[in-house]
Parts: sequence; structure tokens; C-alpha cells
Amino acid sequence: MKNADLSLLTLATGLLFAGCNKGDETNNLTPTSEIITSLSSNVIVATYDDLASKAYQLELSLETLKANPTTSNLENARQLWKETRSAWEQSEGFLFGPVSSEDIDPGIDTWPVNFLELDSLLASSTTITPQYLAGLTQDALRGFHPLEYILWGQNGNKLASELTEKEMEYMVALGAYIRDRTSHLSSRWDINNSNSFRHEFEKAGNGSSAYSTRKDAMLEVVSAMQGICEEVADGKIEEPFFAQDPSLEESPFSGNSIADFTNNMRSIENMYVGKYASDGKGIQDFVKNYNLSLDAEITQKIAAAIAALQNITVPFGEAILTQPQQVANAQTAIRNLNESLEKLTPLIQQRVTD
Amino acid sequence: MFKPFFYSAFFLLLLSATSCSKPEALQEEDLDERLSGGSQTVFDAGSGAYSHPFPNLSDRGNFNHGVGDISFEATFVTAPAPIHSGLGPIFNNVSCASCHIADGRGRPPLNPSELLSSMLVRISIPGENPHGGPNPAPGFGGQLQQRGVFGKPAEADVVITYTNTQGNFSDGTSYTLRKPTISLENPYIPLPSGHLLSGRVAPPVFGMGLLEAIDEMTILGLSDEFDANGDGISGRPNMVWDAVHGKKTIGRFGWKAGNPSVLQQTAGAYNEDMGITSFVFPTESSFGQTQFDGLFDDYELADSILFATTFYTQTLAVPARRNTDDPKVKKGKQLFKEANCSGCHTPMVRTGTNIAFPEASNQIIFPYTDLLLHDMGPELADNRPEFLANGQEWRTSPLWGIGLTELVNGHSNYLHDGRARNLLEAILWHGGEGEKSREYVKKLSQADREALIAFLKSI
Repeated sequence: MKNADLSLLTLATGLLFAGCNKGDETNNLTPTSEIITSLSSNVIVATYDDLASKAYQLELSLETLKANPTTSNLENARQLWKETRSAWEQSEGFLFGPVSSEDIDPGIDTWPVNFLELDSLLASSTTITPQYLAGLTQDALRGFHPLEYILWGQNGNKLASELTEKEMEYMVALGAYIRDRTSHLSSRWDINNSNSFRHEFEKAGNGSSAYSTRKDAMLEVVSAMQGICEEVADGKIEEPFFAQDPSLEESPFSGNSIADFTNNMRSIENMYVGKYASDGKGIQDFVKNYNLSLDAEITQKIAAAIAALQNITVPFGEAILTQPQQVANAQTAIRNLNESLEKLTPLIQQRVTD
Repeated sequence: MFKPFFYSAFFLLLLSATSCSKPEALQEEDLDERLSGGSQTVFDAGSGAYSHPFPNLSDRGNFNHGVGDISFEATFVTAPAPIHSGLGPIFNNVSCASCHIADGRGRPPLNPSELLSSMLVRISIPGENPHGGPNPAPGFGGQLQQRGVFGKPAEADVVITYTNTQGNFSDGTSYTLRKPTISLENPYIPLPSGHLLSGRVAPPVFGMGLLEAIDEMTILGLSDEFDANGDGISGRPNMVWDAVHGKKTIGRFGWKAGNPSVLQQTAGAYNEDMGITSFVFPTESSFGQTQFDGLFDDYELADSILFATTFYTQTLAVPARRNTDDPKVKKGKQLFKEANCSGCHTPMVRTGTNIAFPEASNQIIFPYTDLLLHDMGPELADNRPEFLANGQEWRTSPLWGIGLTELVNGHSNYLHDGRARNLLEAILWHGGEGEKSREYVKKLSQADREALIAFLKSI
């Protein structure tokens, strides 16, 4: 509710502001180039850097757990899994560039977990190394979800004492693999890399081979925001909900799916306001140039989508069976958000000319 | 206020011009050339450009497209499993989307240590199968599966090496082309002698419903098997086995047009690439080989899922052309015609009327393909026949959306095995019926070559 009040306030001040400012409206438009640069540094790069650093800490915590499988070390590893996961899910609002073209996304985030292959792998004499995992192409055998399976167990109640040697070998390899992929991702956006995708993105309309105009880069951003909205509503929620089948859930063992979905919404919010850790310009600053009511609408719907997800009080796999109304409400709220986000496309088509 | 007036004046001019000329068939110039997919065009030049449904699908169509989208991305796992069961026992990849990344184009490995992921290798021995198709290699079938599920040996490891050749444009600029050689290492049983190999990258999957909607008579009308018009181009359709209807028909899909329909293409990919059997191809690719699982759980894929995945690719929209007013692009378009690239890469085609599939019916589209087979000369040949297509013949690849490859897929590898590292190299590989066009391009100035590429990138 707080958020809604806030947006009303913003709307009111916004209107007031627009009211006294009509005359020189064109003089304080935020240039698109500034928005693109800010999205790149304040959101995308900041998120990827945080993801890489969290993944590194996760890897260390897994090493510690392997050396000393205590309850508190397991707890710590689980906590870092969740934190790494949080940064990753907050990057899913901009699944364009290397993360998709280099297949990093499926490489670390494929579900459902392949029990049969996992168990065969754990029962085998193969030494599981990060190199071995990198050589596999069964994405379901590497990345977040097999690790989740090892850390929580199939029923989410695994004890540290139940971890086998083989599981710990696998777990450490998974940690190293995730760290490797996420640091690679962050290096692909590193400003010091000559072939960094960051240059392609920031130089949109100015010599970029990927985006011949700034309009293209802006459209890329909003279509990625819409994309994750659709993915959550029509994929992550719809599939298990429609089939009434908890085994189709994204993060079933840790009970983390609602957090996953919420972080996906935050990812949209981050791109919209231009903020991950530090605040900068975002898509919102472009919208505010032309359409204050659309800005209020999007702000309100992001808040509503997050609130609707928070109304689900049990793990998602249970909620699809026991709280269908809340699940349906969340799905509707996310679809509503997507409808508003879709209005950004024609606005950009029409207004981005610089 | 000046602009609208200008337009209306221009419009009046147009009206007066048309009112005194005889009505004729629509010319390419009369149409908005950005509408590559006719009504099924999407205006997105971003990473998701290949992944949009037809913009005017019905609600029901959208729902089915969504179901197909999910199945296209579904990761299959080893049987028995509660969902997506039946992977392998030997396979190339675990989901449609892992080869057709972002519904786009695959590529060969970047270096010898990288494994094949969005590319596969076809194998056969000389001769024909009972339907006139490639003759399967004993113990390997018609496609090499370089992966096995846990505990099952893959058929072989694929190693691709390149030899470079140098060439020069007329203005003295040199270029290097790389020719791949595919070799198989560690085969699980000895390879049959005289086996034929052909590398195939995953082609983009959008717009297939529109290509499928082109009337057979239209394709036959584009063909010129005996080069009656003397332009050195003699396209002919492939006639292939339709496994769904049990008869021979025109081939449209695949690098040699070896597949007649999106349904068969999809079922074939499930069967060969993933080891997932369906009602169209109910026999495991490993049948009769040591990897065969003997589960007899076939077929593994529900008809509804096969139909949904098929419908998904049939209803993926085509991205609009970009920068069509750019003078450089316009110049390139003119050169494309002058070099007679359009002799095979037919810019404009009208789809047939089909009341059962109104979205794809009677659309004017710009696929830049005639869907016909052309002899591309010995340099590009894989020397592996496929139905009527001999070892030197290839189907004209559609060019629509090709300019977005780098953004969507992060690489610029073209042709059937990804040997060309950019669009210009792809042109330089055109021999045989494409030789005249290639020579024309080689004589162009640097600026003209750049214009031609700018045009291709606008498609």
C-alpha cells in the first residue's frame, strides 16, 4: 500500500510539475544516450558484477562445506545459493547480448532437474570436475538446480551429515562452473575488454554493429522487460499451475520460486528506474519526458505484481494446489504489468529520434 | 505543418499517375518492402526479433503458440521421468531451443576444444534408401549422434579442421576463405567404408509457416530445370518422401530441401537430434545399435506436443526490414539485382490461399528464396545426395532476417556448415549456378561491396 500512495504522490507532483513546465518541456528531456549508458553501468554491469562476486562466495562456501560438512556450513552455502540466485534472477529482465547469444542462461539455469542422470552420475566412478561439466551439453546436469538438489535434497530437508563424498565432489564442481560462467558473463560486459558487448550497447546509433540506432537499443531493453514478464506469467507460473504439477516448479527443493519470480519483477523495476546498487537514469526518465500517466501506471503495476507475489504465503509448489486464488491473482498482476510495458514500444518507436 | 501537406500532394500525384495507367499485377515497388512477412511482420530489431508470434493470431492460436513455445524450450531427460522423458539414448542436443538459440541460427565450434552444440553431422553411404533418400550408414543411421546418455557410448566425436585459401577482388583486396574438413574420432564401432559426411548448422526457424504456405505451383513456376531463359540458373524442386502421408512430394525445408513439411521437419528433429520418438517417426534412431535402450516405450512424444511445437515454428513472425531508406542500402539493393542474386534468392513471393490457415494465406512475403535446388559447384559441395539433390546441389536459403543474426546469435557464420565467417565470405563461396553472380561481386569497388552487404544486413 505504501508504494501505491507514493506513486499517487509522484503523480500529483508530476502533474504539478508538468503544469508549470509546459513552456520549456523540450529543454529538460533526458537524452536517450544518457539513459542507455546509465542502464548499462548502473543496472546491467552492476547486476552482473554482483552476480559474479556472489557466485565466487558461493563457490568458497561450497569448498568450506566439503572440508567440514556441518549444519552451519550447509546453512551458509544455502544462504549464498539464494543470494547468487537473487542476483541472477534480477538479471533476467535483460536477457539480451552474450547471456543469450552465448547460451549462458540455459547453461546455468535449466530445470527440471534430471534425477535419473543425476543419480547415475553420482553413482558412477566419473570424477566430476568443472571441466567435465563444461564438456556436458545436458544443461539439466549443471547450474543452479542440480546444486539446489544437492544442498536441499529432494524433499528440502537434507542434513549436512547426509551429504555423500560424491555429492560434495559434484557440488564443488557445480560451484566452480557457476562461478566460471558468471564471471565470463561479467567480463563480456567489462569496459576494459575490447570486444565487450558493453561497447556495442552503449554505442547504439553511434557505430555499434549490434544496434544501428538508439531506438533499436531502447526497443531491445523494453522487449526484454516484456519478455521476462511473459516468461514468469505464461511459463514459470502457468506451466505448473495449469498442470497442477509441483514437479514443474523452477526452484522446488529450496522453496525459492516465489523469491525467483519476485526478483524477476525487481529486475524489471531496476531497468525501469535505472538502479541496482546506485541510482541512475532508467526507462522511467524517458517515459517521464512524454507520458506521466504511463509512468504512474507502470510504477503502480510493478508494485502490484510484487505485492501479489508476496501474498502467496506457502512455497509455490504447494500454492498451486492450496492457494490457487493467490497464484491466479499474481499471474493476473504480472500480465497487467506486461500490458502496460507493451505501451512502451510504440512510445519509443514514435519518440526516440536522437 | 509542411510535411503533411507534402505527403498529401505526393499522394495526389500518385493517384493521378495511377489513374491513367493500366491496372497491372502488383510490382515489388508498390509494396512496403519492410513487410518481409506480409501481415505477419514484426517490428523488432532486437535480440528477440526471431521469437515473436504472428501479430494477428487468434486467441486460440496464441494459446497454442504459447504451448508450442514451452515445448520448444523443454529440456528432455532420460527415461523414465515424469516429464519430458525419453532423451537419447544417443542424441545431438536436449531441446529444440539449445540448437535454435533464440529461434535463430547455429554455428560450428569456435575452436577445436569446443564441442558441437548448434550443429550436427549427417552421415550416409552411397546409394539410396527405399524411398530414394540417403542410404543410412550401418550402425550410424542417417545422422551422427555425438552424445549419449549416461553410460551409453556416443557414435563418434566430431572434429572439424579448416584449410585456408586466398583470393583477390578485382581491386586487389585479398580475402581468405576457410574450408572445413569433418573427421570422426573414437567411433563406437568401425565406420563403414566410403561413408559420406555433411555438416549442418541449425537454421533459423521463423517464417516457416509462410514458406510452407507457398503453393506448389508457385514453386514449380519458379523452377527452370533446363535453363530455358539462358541465365545460367536452372533451379529445380526436390521431390522427397512425405512420411506423414506416405507419398512423394515437393521438398521445402532443410539445407537440401529434404523435408516436405514443418510437421515432418519437427518430428525428424525430435527423432534424430534428441532421440524422441513420435507417431511420424516411431523408431528410435539407435534401433539395431548397441545403444538401443530396449524400453519399447515408443512413441515418447504426445501428438499434441508434436503439433504444438510444429504450430509454434509455423507461426513465428518475420522481422521487418530495417533502414530501407538509407541510400547505401538502396544502392546495395540495386547491386543485388544487377548481380542477379535475385535469380535464386527470389525477393517477393505470394503465398497460396488457404482458408484453414488464414494468417499465412495469400500473403505477399519477401523471403529471398525460390526454395529450389541449385548446383553450387564443387567447392561448396558436400558430395552427399539427398533424394533428387545431388552432392553439389543446395536449396536456396531464405535471406529474410539474416541481418539480425549477429545481434540475436552473437556470430556471423553462414552457409550449411557455417564455413563463411561473414556475409561477404558467404557470397564468395557461391560457385556453379552462383558463379556469375560471385564474379560480378568480385569486380565491385570496395564502396559497392559495402553497399551490397549493407543491403543484406537490412533484410
